Amino acid sequence: MAALRELQAAIGTAMLGGDAGAAAREIEPDGLAPEARLEIYRHHILTTLTSALEATFPVICRLVDRRFFAYAADTYVRAHPPTGPCLFEYGDSFPDFLAAFPPCRDLAYLPDVARLEWALSAALHAPDVDAVDPARLADVAAEDMPRLTFAVDRSVSFLASPWPVERIWRANQDGAAGDPVDLASGGVRLEVRRAGDVATVRSLAAGDYALRTALARGNTLEDAAAAALGVDPHFDLTAALHAMLDERIFTSFAVST
Amino acid sequence: MTMHAGGLRSPHVAGPLPAACGIGLRAPHVAEILASTPALPWVEVHPENYMGGGPAIAQLEAVRRDYPVSLHGVGLSLGSDGALDARHLARLRALADRIEPCLVSEHLSWSIAGGAYLNHLLPLPYTEETLAVVAEHVGRAQDALGRRILIENPSSYLRFRHSTIGEPELLAALVGLTGCGLLCDVNNIFVTAHNLGIDPVAYLDALPADAVGEIHLAGHAVNDADGHVILIDDHGSPVAAPVWALYAHALGRFGAVPTLIEWDTDIPELGILMAEAAAADRLIAAAPETRDGRAA
Repeated sequence: MAALRELQAAIGTAMLGGDAGAAAREIEPDGLAPEARLEIYRHHILTTLTSALEATFPVICRLVDRRFFAYAADTYVRAHPPTGPCLFEYGDSFPDFLAAFPPCRDLAYLPDVARLEWALSAALHAPDVDAVDPARLADVAAEDMPRLTFAVDRSVSFLASPWPVERIWRANQDGAAGDPVDLASGGVRLEVRRAGDVATVRSLAAGDYALRTALARGNTLEDAAAAALGVDPHFDLTAALHAMLDERIFTSFAVST
Repeated sequence: MTMHAGGLRSPHVAGPLPAACGIGLRAPHVAEILASTPALPWVEVHPENYMGGGPAIAQLEAVRRDYPVSLHGVGLSLGSDGALDARHLARLRALADRIEPCLVSEHLSWSIAGGAYLNHLLPLPYTEETLAVVAEHVGRAQDALGRRILIENPSSYLRFRHSTIGEPELLAALVGLTGCGLLCDVNNIFVTAHNLGIDPVAYLDALPADAVGEIHLAGHAVNDADGHVILIDDHGSPVAAPVWALYAHALGRFGAVPTLIEWDTDIPELGILMAEAAAADRLIAAAPETRDGRAA
């Protein structure tokens, strides 16, 4: 008789495609093989987790077709099962998995399209945090300004890619014209954010991308500005900051010491 | 306070569920329900879908303004060896504080082994060890939530060789140890009884009637597995005729208990769900009354 701990470890192994022998030995046949009984549970776990991944990565599913997606999902689920019960949080490592998945070797753009879909899904479910009132920045002394750091809205993320992933993504939405996307048409610097009830994506210029990613990483305004000017010597820092305040993108700020 | 189907609903009072049939709230119906506020006595949701921010939780709060809500968890893994997931329990508490549900329920099952969340309500061996583990976890969950919870009987496709206790007897013992209530899923009893060759009426009759605070109804699929008929609890069709008959027996034994229609695969239009709920309401109307607020 297996203790609960050993029994659950054995069933866990069987559910993730491993050897079902140890679990099967604990089960009454009752007219149907224990392995067939375990398979009912395994099938449900695999199909529901595949559905969860399809819901988060619909464009990937469309790009590779459903049968191949199910094959990739099966391999992913076995190697990277969820660690918690909120399935909208499942799949963060799926883009990296696709990058290393040998059958996808020829689809070099696929992992970045998956990263965009993950960012959109994460934006939709990110915690609600109120934006900071821009007027409060007026209280910051001028000499402290360079040392300002900001927390950025939890739904915001950034993605740089050598592939035209935003155009690939848009071309694979329901109702899109379906015009072919030239994979050699150039890379993108994207910002993803929730706006109201929808997740949005837009392209950023090089300077804005450098400023925003540096601030989102917790760099000081001085260091972030230097990063932006490094990629765009004509970068207008004042206008860029005003735009971010207008967009209510900051949830807090502090003067670093 | 007592609430009745179609009666005045208070948005801020989390009283006992009305003894009427609600529906499981599913994403395809949310916009229609918010726009047309149909006469539903209450709705039930899986809290795991509402533990982030954004439109999901905003919609649930909007629904809560019009309807009593029950939180029916699938993620606590009460039967797993080892400690409960403290983060998940804290998130459940935070959601309950925000939504003020009429009722919180979970399952006699497990989903977590070795840090992996296996997305299913997996079966337990029914032993003294299992009873002790589940009782400790139910106690911890009730302490963390500051309320009594209901525990649902799972659908089973197998039984373990070393089980020594019947499922209804284990549930009764759990009630005695923890003070929890029971969510009696009549379809699950029917499915389990068929798959494991037990008598569903005897099962129902072995449950402690006073502890039953909610009943679930759903459809199941009839599958052939190597020439052996197995019933699958897929929540993908109308409630089957023999399950309605078993439900009528349950109402006769438990009284007019709040009931829920669950439908999760091939989800039909809202009207079909409401017709199923209306069919349950006709049986509830013929059932004996229960003590007010018994399972709240």
